[in-house]
Amino acid sequence: MEIQWGLFATEFARTFSFWWVILPAILLGLIVGAIPGFSAANTIIILLPLTLSMDPELGLTFMVALYASSRMGAGIPAILVNIPGTAGAAATPLDGYPMTRQGRAQQALAISFVSSVAGGLITTLLALLLMPWLSQVAYYLHSVEMIVIMIFGISLIASIAARDTLKGLIAGFFGLMIGYIGADVVYETPRGTFGFLELYDKVPLIPALVGLFAISEAFSVIEGESILSERGRLAMQKAGWAQTWEGVCEAASCWWHIVWTSFIGLVIGVVPGAGAAIAAFVAYQQSRTFSKTPELYGTGHIKGLVAPESANNGVTSGTLIPLLVIGVPGGATAAIMAVVLQYHGVSMGPELFTNQPHLAYGPFTAMAVTYAIMILTIMPLARYMSRITVVSTVYMAPIIISFTLVGSFVPRAYVFDMYLALVFGVIGYVARKTGYHVAAILIGVILGPLLENYFLRALRISQGDVMVIFSSTVGNILWVLLVLSLVAPWFLDWRKRQRADREG
Amino acid sequence: MNDKPSGESKGKPVGADLIIPVTSIAFCAYYFSTITEVPWTAQVSAVLVGSVLILLSTFFVIKTLRDVLRGRATLGFSRLIEPVSYVRKRSALLALTLGYIFAIHLLGFTLTTFVFLAAAMMLLSNGRRKGFIVILSAILAVGGYLLFVIAFETRFPEGALEHFLKEMF
Repeated sequence: MEIQWGLFATEFARTFSFWWVILPAILLGLIVGAIPGFSAANTIIILLPLTLSMDPELGLTFMVALYASSRMGAGIPAILVNIPGTAGAAATPLDGYPMTRQGRAQQALAISFVSSVAGGLITTLLALLLMPWLSQVAYYLHSVEMIVIMIFGISLIASIAARDTLKGLIAGFFGLMIGYIGADVVYETPRGTFGFLELYDKVPLIPALVGLFAISEAFSVIEGESILSERGRLAMQKAGWAQTWEGVCEAASCWWHIVWTSFIGLVIGVVPGAGAAIAAFVAYQQSRTFSKTPELYGTGHIKGLVAPESANNGVTSGTLIPLLVIGVPGGATAAIMAVVLQYHGVSMGPELFTNQPHLAYGPFTAMAVTYAIMILTIMPLARYMSRITVVSTVYMAPIIISFTLVGSFVPRAYVFDMYLALVFGVIGYVARKTGYHVAAILIGVILGPLLENYFLRALRISQGDVMVIFSSTVGNILWVLLVLSLVAPWFLDWRKRQRADREG
Repeated sequence: MNDKPSGESKGKPVGADLIIPVTSIAFCAYYFSTITEVPWTAQVSAVLVGSVLILLSTFFVIKTLRDVLRGRATLGFSRLIEPVSYVRKRSALLALTLGYIFAIHLLGFTLTTFVFLAAAMMLLSNGRRKGFIVILSAILAVGGYLLFVIAFETRFPEGALEHFLKEMF
């Protein structure tokens, strides 16, 4: 595949002419992204009759715009009320919410919007240029390599919960064990289900997300009249347009940070099944590891917000690469797009780029145009969105509880899932109060089933030899990188202390 | 109002910190009991992860108990319930939430959400601004119905009111 500049230019011009499809998709995407339980994938499924009736290029543009905007929408409640709209935004509140509590919600939103848009734009353009090479990544990653990547994800937990690594690890492994609940994929034997049929299909992610973040947060915030600190409340009273501009400038000052963390998202997005949550946490951890001020992370640090937001938007274009180049969807939303394309008789793979280049490159140009339109439409809203933080917890807590609980009902229509969300809420409340990280538990719940699937596959291939996890060169390189990533923070910290001792 | 429970003046209260490790150990034990009959390949991943979790949790429990024995900490649970003045409200809110989930599949989203919001807001506001709370709850419940059920056609729990409105329009 050669880079075709002329074709790209034509495609961009064509995509801009679809603004009337992109604009409502952005609005819808921002709403569904911001509400836990309403993922882009679910919404695209609901709207399948609409997209299937459209011309494939137009339908694809609509889906891509909705997908990209929902990714950004998920960060809004994560920043404002500590409740990520989707699991991909689970790392966003780590620094976004402390900024809100300090009365800097408007700046945090502006930083999130700029990072998301810039990250999304950069990776979309990179995806267009590097597609032939990036698509090869998926060929090199088999079950064994994926096991290491999953454990890489778990190891992040220890560094995220830096105040007590042991508590972080316990929370992460506890989440993993919860993720193992349900029937195993090979023999369909129910395990750890407490006799509930509703748990045979594994623990559903939305009730876990709702409970761990939203319910536990609602039960915690009632201790005060407002989620804002006293200083934060004063700052919010004075807030005007200048705060949005301040956020834009702060994000712009981290431009290089946006570039490299969004690239992490792009590469992880190419790996089928890895997803935005892992990308955001990897970017956050890497950002902190190489920071000169790692102690500021978790306290409302700008780069702590930039990293996950750039990375999870970088994933968006990454997931489309394996779908279009080798016909393997990189995530749930990409899988639904594949269904729509197949319905229209479009066959994915290398021939798509020669036979129907406008369909092959179209999703990326649609994504770039979506991001460009989105920044213009959403930025002026930062000031008004941030006002939600001055709402008294007397009203906010019951609203959070009722609407997110119903959100956990939506995906499967089981009342059981609402009870499950409440159970996770209790776990989350205990975790928050005692210093265990709810994000660590959530990432464990996400990775548990994935880790087990890859482990079982690797065991079947090796006929039961556990040492298979050290059998691949790429895998072994990843193991070394994993060890290095665990040791690096300790080493850098040790070196910093040595230097301080010498200077002191 | 005194927000600190009495009798926990000596050392840091760390009893609540043990809830998650102890629950983890108990859950692993239960999980292992459910996989004794399954083939080895379906056990191995969970056994590996569960063993690590038991190891980590046991280490944490021992470390905490050592601190308690040395007088640096107590087995108090105050961290979980502080500030104590909110225990009653929090318990009542939990009871209301349980009632909300129980009632929602009988009465449907709109009616149950209205009652829950009004009751929970009145509880948290100590019964102030009743009129405002009732109007706000009604707007939110009806707004939620219009946005999610009518506009987005989302699968929300339906009751008599939703069925009646569906028949009417």
